[in-house]
Amino acid sequence: MLNIVVCIKQVPMVTELPWDEKTGTLRRDLAAGMMNPACKRAVEAALQIKEKQGASITVMTMGPPAAEEVLREALAMGADRGIFICDPILAGSDTYATSFILAAAIQKEVPGCDLILCGAYTSDSETAQVGPQLAEELNMPAAAYAEHLDVSGRILRVRRLVDNFRETLEMEFPALVTISMERYEPRYASFAGLNKAFMETDIPVLNAEALGITAENLEARGSRTKVRRVFIRKTQKENVRITGAAASAVSEFLDRYQWAISAVIGKSIEAEKQA
Amino acid sequence: MKTGKNKRMMTNKQKSIWVFGDYRNYYQNRVTLQLISKAVDLARVIDAEVCAVVFGHNVEEWIMEYTAHGADRVLAIDHPSLTSYSTENYLALIEKLAKQRDPDIILIGATDFGREFAPRLAKRLKTGLSADCVGLDIEPEGLLVQIAPSFGGNMLAEIVTEKHRPQMATVRPGTFKEIPHNYERTAIVERLPLPATLPASRVRVVEYERAAQKGHTIENATVIVCGGRGLGNKNNFKKLNELARLLGGDVGATRPVVYAGWADHDALVGQAGKHIKPKILFSFGISGAIQHTAGLGEANFIVAINKNPQATMMKMADVAIAADASDLLNNLIKELKKRIRE
Amino acid sequence: MQFNPCMKHKLIRNSARSFAETELAPIAAEIDQQRIFPRDVIAKMGELNYFGLQVPKEYGGAALDSISAAIVVEEISRVCAAVGLCVTVHNGVAVYPFLQFANASQKEKYLPQLAAGNVIGAFSLTEANAGSDAGSVETTAVKNGTDYILNGTKIFVTNGGVCDVALIFALTSSPDNKLQSSVFIVESKFPGFLRGELEDLCGMRANPVSSLFFEDCPVPEENLLGRLGDGMKIGLATLDNGRIGVAAQALGIAQGAMEAAVKYAKERQQFKKPIASQQTIQNYIADMATEIMAARLLLYRACERKDAGAAFGCEASMAKLYCSTMASKVTSLAVQIHGGYGYSKEYDVERYFRDARVTEIYEGTSEIQRMVIARSILSQPIM
Repeated sequence: MLNIVVCIKQVPMVTELPWDEKTGTLRRDLAAGMMNPACKRAVEAALQIKEKQGASITVMTMGPPAAEEVLREALAMGADRGIFICDPILAGSDTYATSFILAAAIQKEVPGCDLILCGAYTSDSETAQVGPQLAEELNMPAAAYAEHLDVSGRILRVRRLVDNFRETLEMEFPALVTISMERYEPRYASFAGLNKAFMETDIPVLNAEALGITAENLEARGSRTKVRRVFIRKTQKENVRITGAAASAVSEFLDRYQWAISAVIGKSIEAEKQA
Repeated sequence: MKTGKNKRMMTNKQKSIWVFGDYRNYYQNRVTLQLISKAVDLARVIDAEVCAVVFGHNVEEWIMEYTAHGADRVLAIDHPSLTSYSTENYLALIEKLAKQRDPDIILIGATDFGREFAPRLAKRLKTGLSADCVGLDIEPEGLLVQIAPSFGGNMLAEIVTEKHRPQMATVRPGTFKEIPHNYERTAIVERLPLPATLPASRVRVVEYERAAQKGHTIENATVIVCGGRGLGNKNNFKKLNELARLLGGDVGATRPVVYAGWADHDALVGQAGKHIKPKILFSFGISGAIQHTAGLGEANFIVAINKNPQATMMKMADVAIAADASDLLNNLIKELKKRIRE
Repeated sequence: MQFNPCMKHKLIRNSARSFAETELAPIAAEIDQQRIFPRDVIAKMGELNYFGLQVPKEYGGAALDSISAAIVVEEISRVCAAVGLCVTVHNGVAVYPFLQFANASQKEKYLPQLAAGNVIGAFSLTEANAGSDAGSVETTAVKNGTDYILNGTKIFVTNGGVCDVALIFALTSSPDNKLQSSVFIVESKFPGFLRGELEDLCGMRANPVSSLFFEDCPVPEENLLGRLGDGMKIGLATLDNGRIGVAAQALGIAQGAMEAAVKYAKERQQFKKPIASQQTIQNYIADMATEIMAARLLLYRACERKDAGAAFGCEASMAKLYCSTMASKVTSLAVQIHGGYGYSKEYDVERYFRDARVTEIYEGTSEIQRMVIARSILSQPIM
């Protein structure tokens, strides 16, 4: 039977968190947490594989104590086991450190797992880096932004749309795939499932020590980047004014913004060179 | 500043900023050229060379383009086995080069490919990476200040990789402006052989093809053209469809327009209608009543066209064009038809 | 009493909220205006245990505690009160009597179907001449062989237009020929079970409220719920529980209305600033938020007593009285904050305002609640 690990993350429920001018930090406390939407789709992808050919699904998260909630939700959706990595010394890990910690937990708790799924990106930081870096840690073939997975024996077939190319990739287990937002519309957890996830399931909590992570190896394998400050994007728009006859206004506008527009619409709107 | 210089003199190593050549959507997405342009700015501060790195088959065209747009050096590996993009193959190649040559900075376009490729490269080089940057700056000592969006783009984070090198960032297409081409420019071009020891990729590309454009809904449309009463009449309003088609976007409408029967209720944008988050919003003849603007919270770039320069919509726009909405719409359609070579 | 929600309650709330916002928010205004009962959404809700919130697992239910069940009703009503009504009536007054009073074979026969939402339940006591005065029921059930023959008319039956099983209060004769009320499990497919036209009501318009007519409708004797003459006992116990549900519903409506009003007050500009910066509007919002919080604590207190197995009738009545009057006030203020737009069907607060009103009326009017509360207080010994 396939052994699947799904790595999930709790994110704030709103995209626009109130900003505390005095302390220069986000009021995370004001937002309820939720399972990151792409992670929820990764859980759904795992459940669909389980329904088709049978699998044991372990969900794993790292976060503050409240993050346990997303594991319970994944269990309610149909995952079999939850693993919670929670330790204040791991707080503030960047993707480099997070992928190292997750890899350590997977190697310890789910050795020999066949497939690791992650959400392609999170709604709070949107780096999309943890999945690919976890693949490096575990030395696995990987594909990001998957829209559909097919398992046949030990072969995983991944369909995805990247940079406007529709690709079908194949790799052998063990492999890591990050799931995009495009397909795998997640199921709702039933209330029976939620109740059971809380009343009948134990979730082991792993701290850094349990994972063999010490201050020394965190120094060696831990965060590379440092967030120096976070600030609000200036809301004052540039408000460029263009006047004049319509035809000349159009030319002025298009000449000035052609690259920005081209990047969005995917077509060049560069003026024909004058012969 | 002094330390940087001293160190360089001691090691006598030419500093280098690398830009990864991502060319497969070259005609739609000029991010590599934009990055070369930014790298030229950064290189000036720390006295570095700008080096484009390109892998593929028949890459002469890209070598020429990167040179023409500002690269000082191009590292190219040209081989039939590199015809289609392969994350694993490209990773193995660039990892080897980077370990040999030790660049100070590597910039990679935040395309889907780049965003999968860069984090794995960073891990192999045991260094930090910031994602999807919208701004880059460099301090005289050589520390790259990376401005990356956070929380859905409402917040910006200033990120640095203090101790580890290279410093790596992926950058959103369209963030920087490319340097106009100059085909007289020359660069040092190193055409490198494919290493004999390249490990076989564990990921097989079974199929790939350029995808057709996806169908949009107005809520997830990247381009929206919205019209209000300022367009004058239903026939003028209908021309928005033509503009939307050219831009691959959707048509939105204000409440008065929907109630006048110029547009379906489905097109209503605002408090009682759809909340939209386009990358570009064109707003034709819309005054900007709160019932409408409440639905525009996440529009990234707003172009407003209105006869009245004092209209709220004109004040909240990134670009405000003072003109008759219908007149400008006709001209814009005409000009775009000329420019878009379909 | 715990004043902070536990993780389970938070997750149940998030889950119900995300369902309501995804599945019901887009259709809530339309099904209200067109008076459509959204069967496809109801079917999805069935799979997720919305119709078996407190049914034990062995019958396919979710076995939730009462606060969880109240939270679910609250969250559905926050978006679409008419569907919230369907859920709370089904769980609170149709399924609940089965759990309390049905025998093993009745439970086995009906509970799995009810819990799955394949069978929608209704509860009908009210008649033209019997509402608050449950003793004035005129529907009769006359024993004939192994059947009881039902005759009579029930009005304002929530879920009446769609229910598959209804609990019907009817007069029966005791062995010594005294009239007493009893409750029967009546399936809509029994001959002589007829539905009236849907009522054209002020609010809750997506709920198919209708009359039910019984014309020589034979009900097998094994469908008697509890014992003969248990009607009053079952009715009172069920209404106590139903009141928790209506309180939760009123609370959800008020919450939805307040959120809409706060959003509007921050966006709507008058005199060049958001109306939320006006002290009068701030006072309204402060009152709304305070009363909603008070109502919620009162409601959860009743739930907690119920789960602890303590008498909760008085607390349920207090919660119902307070939540419903609060909901009418809060929705009215929400309309006021919206100004002219609040009086228009274009904005949700107009619907909330209509939907809230009936929570003061059904499942015992506010006047009846006061009577229940006063009786309970007055019957306590003087210290």
